[in-house]
Amino acid sequence: MTNQITKYQRFVMMNPVIQFFKLIYLSLKVLLVVAGGHGGTRG
Amino acid sequence: MSKIVILGAGISGHVAASHLRRKLGKEHEVLVVSPNSNYQWIPSNIWVGVGRMKSKELLFPLTPLYKKKDIGFKQAKVVSFHPEGDATESKPYVLVEYVDGEVKYKKEKVNYDYLINSTGPKLAFDLTEGLEPGTNKAYSVCTYSHAEHAWQGLEVLINEMKNGKKAKILIGTGHAKATCQGAAFEYILNVEQELRRHKVREMAEITWISNEYKLGDFGMDGMLLSYENKTMPSFEMVEMVFRDRGIKWILGAAVTKIEDGIAHYENLEGEYKFENYDFAMLIPSFAGHEFKAFDKNQNEITEKLFKGFMLVDADYTVKPYENWSVKDWPETYQNPSYPNIFAPGIAFAPPHAISKPRKSKNGTDITPAPPRTGMPSGITAKIVADNIIDSIKLNGVSLNHKGSMGNMGAACIASAGFGLTTGSGISITTYPIVPDYEKYPDSQGRQLGKTFGEIGLAGHWLKLLLHYAFIYKAKMKPFWWLIPE
Repeated sequence: MTNQITKYQRFVMMNPVIQFFKLIYLSLKVLLVVAGGHGGTRG
Repeated sequence: MSKIVILGAGISGHVAASHLRRKLGKEHEVLVVSPNSNYQWIPSNIWVGVGRMKSKELLFPLTPLYKKKDIGFKQAKVVSFHPEGDATESKPYVLVEYVDGEVKYKKEKVNYDYLINSTGPKLAFDLTEGLEPGTNKAYSVCTYSHAEHAWQGLEVLINEMKNGKKAKILIGTGHAKATCQGAAFEYILNVEQELRRHKVREMAEITWISNEYKLGDFGMDGMLLSYENKTMPSFEMVEMVFRDRGIKWILGAAVTKIEDGIAHYENLEGEYKFENYDFAMLIPSFAGHEFKAFDKNQNEITEKLFKGFMLVDADYTVKPYENWSVKDWPETYQNPSYPNIFAPGIAFAPPHAISKPRKSKNGTDITPAPPRTGMPSGITAKIVADNIIDSIKLNGVSLNHKGSMGNMGAACIASAGFGLTTGSGISITTYPIVPDYEKYPDSQGRQLGKTFGEIGLAGHWLKLLLHYAFIYKAKMKPFWWLIPE
């Protein structure tokens, strides 16, 4: 069954207060992924 | 003293030049050769394409910055590569041709100790008949000038819609092997939001057309990602967003020809179809620049340097999809024939696609090419710069810095609409970019947790913050190097 964006999800997505905290969380999470190092794959 | 020549001043070339200059003493020369006089932060072009940002906000002239930072700059394009020099020039060199000013058309041999080829892609509009930005009602957002044209075209259409015109908008990829679906994805969502802002959304039918087999492939074979408290394939997430925005889609489509308001395409079923439109934005194929290379006796040795894009330390052996391995992907971006030549970013030839290759019933290859734009471009350029710096300091070849796209994370902060309180973004991170099926066999080659998606206003704010942060970094303002690639 296709997922749908519910009214509640839309409220959360567009609420500036909730999204402000989401921004902090997101920034840290993105930073962890992209600045978390990189390397080779051939051992 | 060493001389490092960098071809191209896009994300990759500029990152390499910046790091080399910062870490190398003034006795070493850093020289950038680029036909473009401006640096542009390409990810923000989509906002220029919907009239929400001016070009001047995402570009700045390179000459004053490079002069201030003691980086040499020649506004010229590369003509040919001569990695062994020739009868009159003992050092390796590139032949360049100036493109501006009094020296326009003048050719010059630029020698080097190390060469970084970061020339990016040739935007191969010519590979799709009739696809040329600003003609046949079809546009591009690949450069800021293309994006400006796109906004001019869209603005006219919006005004016509305000006067009652019903319109069809087509956005996606314009070639069977195009890449950069992410940019088109951002653009279609931004266009949809702008139509709502102008209160003409109900007048438009918006359609996504793409060479992807499934929505959310993005040239990376899609991904299984964490979304809220569940695990969701990327195609489901994109389908959810498209349904929410009332966007239709056509998949597995190889656009072959553009006429005035008509896009002809072949699909994986082998059917030849067409789609009418009043406004289209189609990403072209990205191709190599068709450079030629010569040895010291002027014999052509192009095959030692190029296979469309530049050959690097990848495994280019032709093998079936089932035998593809993450280990095929390059780690140092060094040319195997000439160890003082490197090609980070889009300039390196990928060993194969990331998405599973597919053919139409007529035998036409319809497969997205692998993306190497944005973050991977910056990271690979820094790896190359660091290896060159070590090699110079150690007076020998050093390749300790490695960064395979199979062991590298990337974030795609896709704008889904502009606006401080009404904007939206779809933030997707992927680790690794090239799936590693040995390490992560149960999650489609990617590490769940590090591969996640988020939708909401925060994504727009983050994309906007990154815009300002990366322009600050590119301008090499104080502590710029603390901002990661």
